[in-house]
Amino acid sequence: MNSSDAVREGLIPLLPRLRRLARALAGQAADADDLVQIVLERALARAAQWRPDAALDKWVFAIARNAWRDELRARGRSQHLFAPEEAGEMAADRASAQPAQQLELAMALAALPPDHREVVALVLIEGMSYGEAAELLEVPVGTVTSRLARARTTLQAHLGKDT
Amino acid sequence: MKPIDDDTLQAYVDGELDADAAARVDAALAHDAVLARRVQQARALRTQLHAAFDPVLDEPVPARLSALLQPPATPARTGGRHAHARHHRRAPRRWYVGAALAASVAVLAVAVWWPHAGGDMLRMQGGQSFAAGPLERALDHALASEPNADAAVAIGLSFRSNDGHICRSFVLRHAPARAGLACHSDGGWNVPVLTAAPAPGNGDELRQAGSGLPDAVRAAIDARLRGEVFDAKQERAARDAGWQ
Repeated sequence: MNSSDAVREGLIPLLPRLRRLARALAGQAADADDLVQIVLERALARAAQWRPDAALDKWVFAIARNAWRDELRARGRSQHLFAPEEAGEMAADRASAQPAQQLELAMALAALPPDHREVVALVLIEGMSYGEAAELLEVPVGTVTSRLARARTTLQAHLGKDT
Repeated sequence: MKPIDDDTLQAYVDGELDADAAARVDAALAHDAVLARRVQQARALRTQLHAAFDPVLDEPVPARLSALLQPPATPARTGGRHAHARHHRRAPRRWYVGAALAASVAVLAVAVWWPHAGGDMLRMQGGQSFAAGPLERALDHALASEPNADAAVAIGLSFRSNDGHICRSFVLRHAPARAGLACHSDGGWNVPVLTAAPAPGNGDELRQAGSGLPDAVRAAIDARLRGEVFDAKQERAARDAGWQ
């Protein structure tokens, strides 16, 4: 058993959460799975860098976040990966019909600046603590809390519209 | 008393406060309706985000992704060999990985799935494995009394378990052959056991005395079996009743 086998097998049960994180970051299902593919390839290529005493999920989520940032840079659009109408389509093409409010929320998330979107994805969706998110993002905890507060304000404005 | 600031309120909602600080917020909420409403809104946002994104957890993983995590088919490695070799040279802690993996094998064992021509066979939900794709369809529809030698999934014994749910053993014919047990529940076919199997024969063999089933599957059946396994008529009746 070598490190690449250990990482490969350890990633299997993480795939659903990794896909959820990618969906929250990238928005569109096809883009999200492209991102997951990049992440898996990078994780396998860097398997020897994983310290077995470190949690594999946080390690691979950090790779995912960085890969997503790389993709954003490659596209040269740091603010809006998708136009709002595309975000609507991506939400609408999901297998299960979702309430309009959830679609609108997914669109609002996709429209957030990347700094805000990633803290929402890590803390509110993945359930990381502020400290864990700060470590992953390599920013102070105070930065996480302030970004999260601003993201919440924006998203809650969307939620509030319907209620 | 100091008013509750925005950061404190957010930390409260996100479970980041220690017990004393949380108790102070609790006390303030009891007599401040505006504050209480803001907490409620923040919690609602979290709930809505989960409602919007958690369904991804239950989607079958696309085969192109799970295929990347398959073990190499032969000892001769493809693709990333050179990258691996390079990493190994500067990674003197390889022995440690094996130890950590050995410890985690038990956890991994419940979360095995593999790509298949017809899609993935298992999905994870609430920390449990459920049948998906061709396996789910076979469990829903196939009858051991009408074996199909070409099907990817061979159904074995069907019976009502001691907790009232109907369970069915099955064998996945495509290499690597696997055998398992699935029990029907509200969420679908829960798969409590799945293990490597000898190359299976046809459905008839399986149904008769469960021959060829691995010990782990036989043990899982023995632990659940109450009374007799279904005969062909009971099996069909159970299917027609939706495995209830």
